Amino acid sequence: MAYVATRGGERAIEQAERLFRAEMGEITEARVAEIKAAMPYLIDRVMGEASLYDEDLAALALAQTGGELFEAVLVLRAWRTTQPRLQVADPITQDALFTHRRISAAFKDIPGGQVLGPTLDYSHRILATDVLNGFPFKPAEVEPAAQPAPAYQPSVAAWQADNDLVDLPPIDDTAPEDIPDVTREPLLFPAKRAHTLQSLARAETGGALALGYAAMRGYGQAHPTVNELRLAEADIMVRHPNGTAFSAGRVKVSQAEVVSKKGEKLELGFAATLGWNEVKCISAATLDLNSAGAEKGSATEEEFFIYHTEGVESSGFCIHFKLPHYVTFQSSLDAMRDAKAKAASRKEPAE
Amino acid sequence: MTAIPIPSEAERRSNQAFDALLTALSRPGSIQRLPQPGEASIIEALLDRECRVFCADPLLMPIVLATGAIVADLPAADHVFAGALQDLDVVNGLDLGSHLYPDDGATLVVRAVLGQGPKLRLTGPGIETTVEVTVGSLPEGFWDLRRQRIRYPMGFDLFLVDGDWVLGMPRSTQVEVL
Amino acid sequence: MSLATLTKNWEPMSYGFLDASAKREIRRKMLKAVAVPGCQMPYASREVPMARGWGTGGLQVSLTLMNPSKRVKVIDQGADDSVNAASIRRFLARVSGAPTTLDTLEADLIQSRHRIPEEKLREDQVLVLQVPNPEPLRPVQPNMSIARQMHADADYGRMWLQLYEQIVRSGRVMQGASYPSLVNGRHVMTPSPIPRWDVPKLHMAKHLTILSAGREKRIHAVPPFTRVEPLVFDDVPYKVEDHGGLTCNRSGAKGFFMNEIPQDDGSSTYEISDSEFGVKTIKQAEGERVEFGETWYTDGEMPS
Repeated sequence: MAYVATRGGERAIEQAERLFRAEMGEITEARVAEIKAAMPYLIDRVMGEASLYDEDLAALALAQTGGELFEAVLVLRAWRTTQPRLQVADPITQDALFTHRRISAAFKDIPGGQVLGPTLDYSHRILATDVLNGFPFKPAEVEPAAQPAPAYQPSVAAWQADNDLVDLPPIDDTAPEDIPDVTREPLLFPAKRAHTLQSLARAETGGALALGYAAMRGYGQAHPTVNELRLAEADIMVRHPNGTAFSAGRVKVSQAEVVSKKGEKLELGFAATLGWNEVKCISAATLDLNSAGAEKGSATEEEFFIYHTEGVESSGFCIHFKLPHYVTFQSSLDAMRDAKAKAASRKEPAE
Repeated sequence: MTAIPIPSEAERRSNQAFDALLTALSRPGSIQRLPQPGEASIIEALLDRECRVFCADPLLMPIVLATGAIVADLPAADHVFAGALQDLDVVNGLDLGSHLYPDDGATLVVRAVLGQGPKLRLTGPGIETTVEVTVGSLPEGFWDLRRQRIRYPMGFDLFLVDGDWVLGMPRSTQVEVL
Repeated sequence: MSLATLTKNWEPMSYGFLDASAKREIRRKMLKAVAVPGCQMPYASREVPMARGWGTGGLQVSLTLMNPSKRVKVIDQGADDSVNAASIRRFLARVSGAPTTLDTLEADLIQSRHRIPEEKLREDQVLVLQVPNPEPLRPVQPNMSIARQMHADADYGRMWLQLYEQIVRSGRVMQGASYPSLVNGRHVMTPSPIPRWDVPKLHMAKHLTILSAGREKRIHAVPPFTRVEPLVFDDVPYKVEDHGGLTCNRSGAKGFFMNEIPQDDGSSTYEISDSEFGVKTIKQAEGERVEFGETWYTDGEMPS
């Protein structure tokens, strides 16, 4: 009898993949378009975690993976790897963002006003079961305000800085193409500021929430107040080789500033990501707020939260435990049995 | 995805150049073949805009610049293309990395004559017992200075290029001038 | 300078999947890894079309080294037919057009998870080991920044203490696979989760070994003819798995690392872990002409 399994492995993995894909059936352009139209917030979440802004590709990734989010993000990141870097866009300041929603919990009102924008915050979370009985849910029409809020809003932290309540970080005038990029160079600690912010922007939402929540509950030194939460669109300004600056389009971004009292000043935590994802930004900003001086190995320490909120790495490692480990297991068994035999032989002479 | 992927000429050159460099550094003292004479294929295989380069050879400069690498002062350079060495200034100025990050130690590429000149005996990783090589046209005192400067694991790694020949000497190699 | 020198022809995918800049970074780090044997060199580690923890580190090294004339062998737990090995082999072949093989002797490049083949590797062969956790100090120091400082200071005291405590408690070092080993007398490395049986194969070997952790973003290397010494006390010698006397139930091969197969009656049988070596043994018994390479172990013993 010979080993016949050599090709068996290949057949097995092929058929297993077919089983998975059979459930989703044919993937058409229409399906991708429907996912994109129906689930903008899911698309945003996936684009943020993949650090790749393309709604069509994100919708395709969701279609292709049946909504297995970790797989969707992985397939997008792997695609991202293959793309050349053509341009680095100009940096953009908060007051240059086309703002849809901007709220502050720190003040009743803020310069520029509280702009609620689109949110489910004050909705009653009632499942629209009628839809399943043949009565479509038609959202009520939005009534435009008599005076629309200005699209461009200053940052709340800027006002606080003017009033000597907070020290803003010094302006970083690193040339755009010199900004460190964690996908092109190793992440080392203490992390470069750009690496920290980029890692938080790419963080897995649930992971950022879990650790951010731990900090909010008291496993951090600082209690966050949401200074500003903003959902906006950012202009992507790039340069033609002849020097002309032009907009390559707008991308949805979200950002959170959280503050905490430290002595006579406020301390600032910040996070931003591609797409609209409020939970992630507030959680990530809370981690950022708590990271200075955090104890090594605590949930709010930079190395701890950056590594453990990296969704592609953590999910990959988690599922890798499904792979056979019988060689390592055999090696451990051998050591255990030998130790046991040694223990038994030590006991014998005493009897 | 195409049916059968075929490497471009540039990919083929870089792949071959790196094979030569990796083998040369893994087996100090052995002479490996670059895909073409000179440093160009080394530059192409290793450098891009993530690198800081010191280049003493004006003829190589355009090739270095084409990679997008940042031209740097000697102490800040991770890759140093010294051409033919006139004196030991370059060796004195090299970044040796740190105990925390030995990988910051520079890669030094120098033109030399392989197969004639002073005889050296090499020992260390990559060498079963000892190996003897002859390397010419390096300034007097080069090997002494190399020994003084390397504080393993801090140090620099050396490639000697002679036409399309390359010989590697990692910082882990001990060199005895015979 | 013309536009043509600044551009290149459009390709649907870079040769070998990774783009040129990813390859260059890995090349630079591989050279440094070889220059300081056993020292973990950080790299960016691109995302590849495989999940982290499934060999993405080894894959990036292999993809960088591949060309259409390099013959590749991929094993997982010693087996070429393991599903993940099959998946990686298929991917490597698909993106590089390289030929594949199951026979250790025919391979130019061997990517492996958790094993080193039983036939000796030659000077012209490169072994790429997949590494889940590149940090041997992790059990005593989970924080990577502190562990890095410990390597910088060659501060391996806690590592030794841990081994000592195991001996006091259990009469032996309880480390199974991934046995921490001192490389070139300076850096303690993990040899990846290969069994203790395989660690001596790295010591003063003819071949180059590159160990790459994709998720943890570290590369280290063992050049040829480099000292790799498992951490042991003088009076408690290093002990490989007690497999030297076992015989493979399927092939009859004897004196190699085995997989234990539990039986219904409570006993165990054994199958050789290096699956292709088993296949060759069977073929030979059936009268086929088969070429065997020299093995590291003879009659279940590693000649010193």
